[in-house]
Amino acid sequence: MATDFSRRTLMQAAAALPLLGMASQIAFGAEGEVIARIETDLKNLDPANRVGSIEDNILQATTQTLARFKPNSLEWEPDAAKTISQVSETEIDFELNPGQMFSDGYGELTADDVKFSLERFLPDAQGNKPAYADDWGALDYVEVTGKYTGKIILKNPAPALWVIGICDSSGTILSKKATTELGGKISTKVVGSGPYVLKEWKPNEHVILEANPDYKGNAPAQLKRIILKPISEWQTALLAFQAKEVTFTEVEPTAVTEVEQDPNSAVIKIDGIDYEWIGVNVEKAPLDDSKVRQAIRYGIDVDAIIAGAWSGTVSRAKTLLAPQLLGHWADAPVYQYDPEKAKALLAEAGVSDLKVTLTCLNDARTQAEAQIVQANLAEAGVTVTINALDGGAYWGMGEGDKSKDLELTIIPYSSKFDPSFQTQWFVSSQVGVWNWQRWKNAEFDKLHSEAASITDEDERARKYVRMQQLLDESASCIWITHGVHNFAHAKSVTPALLPNGVNWQLRYFKSA
Amino acid sequence: MPAIVQFIVQRLAAALLTLVGAILLLFVIIQFVPGDLASILLGPRATPELRAQFAERMGLDRSIPEQIFLFFRRAVSGDLGTDVVTGRDILSIILDVLPNTLQLAGAGLLISLAFGIALGCIAALKPGSLIDTVLGVASVAFITTPAFVVAIFLLLIFSLKLHWLPVTGAGAPGDPLDRLSHLILPATALSIGWIGYLARLVRASLLEVLSEQHVRMMRAYGVPEGRIVRHFALRLALVPMVAVMGIGVGDMISNAVFVEIIFARPGIGTLIYNAILNRNFPIVQAGILFTVLTYVTCNLLVDVINALLDPRIARSLNKPA
Repeated sequence: MATDFSRRTLMQAAAALPLLGMASQIAFGAEGEVIARIETDLKNLDPANRVGSIEDNILQATTQTLARFKPNSLEWEPDAAKTISQVSETEIDFELNPGQMFSDGYGELTADDVKFSLERFLPDAQGNKPAYADDWGALDYVEVTGKYTGKIILKNPAPALWVIGICDSSGTILSKKATTELGGKISTKVVGSGPYVLKEWKPNEHVILEANPDYKGNAPAQLKRIILKPISEWQTALLAFQAKEVTFTEVEPTAVTEVEQDPNSAVIKIDGIDYEWIGVNVEKAPLDDSKVRQAIRYGIDVDAIIAGAWSGTVSRAKTLLAPQLLGHWADAPVYQYDPEKAKALLAEAGVSDLKVTLTCLNDARTQAEAQIVQANLAEAGVTVTINALDGGAYWGMGEGDKSKDLELTIIPYSSKFDPSFQTQWFVSSQVGVWNWQRWKNAEFDKLHSEAASITDEDERARKYVRMQQLLDESASCIWITHGVHNFAHAKSVTPALLPNGVNWQLRYFKSA
Repeated sequence: MPAIVQFIVQRLAAALLTLVGAILLLFVIIQFVPGDLASILLGPRATPELRAQFAERMGLDRSIPEQIFLFFRRAVSGDLGTDVVTGRDILSIILDVLPNTLQLAGAGLLISLAFGIALGCIAALKPGSLIDTVLGVASVAFITTPAFVVAIFLLLIFSLKLHWLPVTGAGAPGDPLDRLSHLILPATALSIGWIGYLARLVRASLLEVLSEQHVRMMRAYGVPEGRIVRHFALRLALVPMVAVMGIGVGDMISNAVFVEIIFARPGIGTLIYNAILNRNFPIVQAGILFTVLTYVTCNLLVDVINALLDPRIARSLNKPA
């Protein structure tokens, strides 16, 4: 059979292009549906071995915890629990709401499921621990006192437990029966009792959450469906948003103005609680001299880094803990760029013609930061060689004492809401692992240990401030920023986000 | 044994050697790549114990010869292991995304052939004319512009300005129209360089054929020029293109990585890319195995087609050097 591709046929085919596009667009933006962009695909949905915030966000929508955060807030309220209270520093009592059902026919949620779910975080008989074991490091055991009642018994007071353990994904209540039956498949399937169910996960294409028709809790799903689409490139995500293919996405700070020009779109800005800093290896000569470290601190123009690499979209950090966190050191000194003072300090230390290597990640922004540091320090007579690494090689420095050869390093860390999560990486035992400054201080270690197990908030705050003062005295960390999160969303959608900007409260997303 | 059969057997052996060689090389390279999966995925939560657990589950605690032996033994039986992160069967992960990449490369190839041949013919029929010059400049521009740059421009024009075609994904399964609409821009971005390359190749080849004795003879007998080109000259002119397309398939598959990332399109390119970033080596090995397999199969087919089109190629094997 001969096919005649005439010019008319070609013209007809070209004219059909817009129709194809329209056909694909009709599929999006359905009522009661949100399409959110996620930066990477799901990896592991086991709460004890989850990988990142994407899993967190899905678990929080599809499962229940004893208590949950309120929308856009760190205040909590009971979720699966009818009542939950701290009766002593080492005991938390709870009573569950009856009739809360697991999906896939796995029955009612009981105190046995709570015990099973929380005790999964304890080391097994061989001493193997799951990735998130530390979140429940204070847990001794869970005592079941009735079908719906129980006690969480702690080994020591743990003030961080509420925000890191109970209300977070580490507090996810799984069906004991389903988890046992599923075995390893727990990493790809969720059997929960939350307002949404995980309807479909098509790897690298989408994750579909649908309203759970059997949900019996007091915060039902506000939408029929939430579709999560993995889009790794920020620019593609922005284009997809502008083309109305996604209704919610995080965008680069530099894209905010562009998004705001669309009358149907809005931007939510959340100041971050993460921390990026330049770590100085205090063991490596001549950086082992405090004067040299101070010289480097004066020789780096953090404001220029913010203006140049971040386009002025973030505020400058002056200490480890962000202003939103307990223990933030409000009076921390801000070191202004002073190359002359840097030169004088180097001369005092008897150091000339200093050459250092600055190790950093190889993304565009971090490399821009490194180049600014290089130019700044050149003014103070310090020659900087930039060593930009991909994530694999960079994070591999946390293995086998590889960090001993680092000199200056730009380090970005993410945070949790309790200050102990941030300070833990600066203790002496982390040297050779994640303490790349290799700074050891007995007082800091003692304060970290004490602050993690006292419940008096004022006392805790004082200890964290003192720890930051010690870090400042060491001149081993040059703080850059706590970051910022900007979210573009269609005005037809009202998102809900925890104040860190990382945890999306999908269960509270609703149509505007 | 007939020359053509001998030729196919030899090419099959060469394809197998290429496949094994590529995998061996990959295993060696992996040993020099710093970083590990646990540290990347878990960051500061990656304790030495967890790292050791991950390494053990990925088989990286064994010696290299042992790893290679186990990989090939499993691969032969269709078992590529289990992904330690998701707990999913690696073969099913690959087979989930492979069709998307094959569709993309196939569509890219078709677009390249259609436009490359057409533009090459137009240029060859009007040598030295303005249109020949314009096509020459355009072809070089196509060849030298990277696929990802073309991809971004296509997105800006056809998705953002005109809203004709979608930005991301591969389309809904079971909806051919939707899948086609998701294929057009990535396939065009992928093919643009090859359109330019093929246009130049076809032009040069066609001009050579058109100046040959038998074509001049046909003209002298009054055979219309259009008929000469369509029925005689073009067929001969396309022979060198077949050989080039073997390389073209490999180029399409490797360029698919960038295009898939930009269009957030699931495919083997993005799978391997993300696995490399995460140091998830079993996925990298399996992905490379399938990529190389596709490449050597296409090359094998091209060699065979070439041998069938020109029996001198197969016969040359039996001649002493």
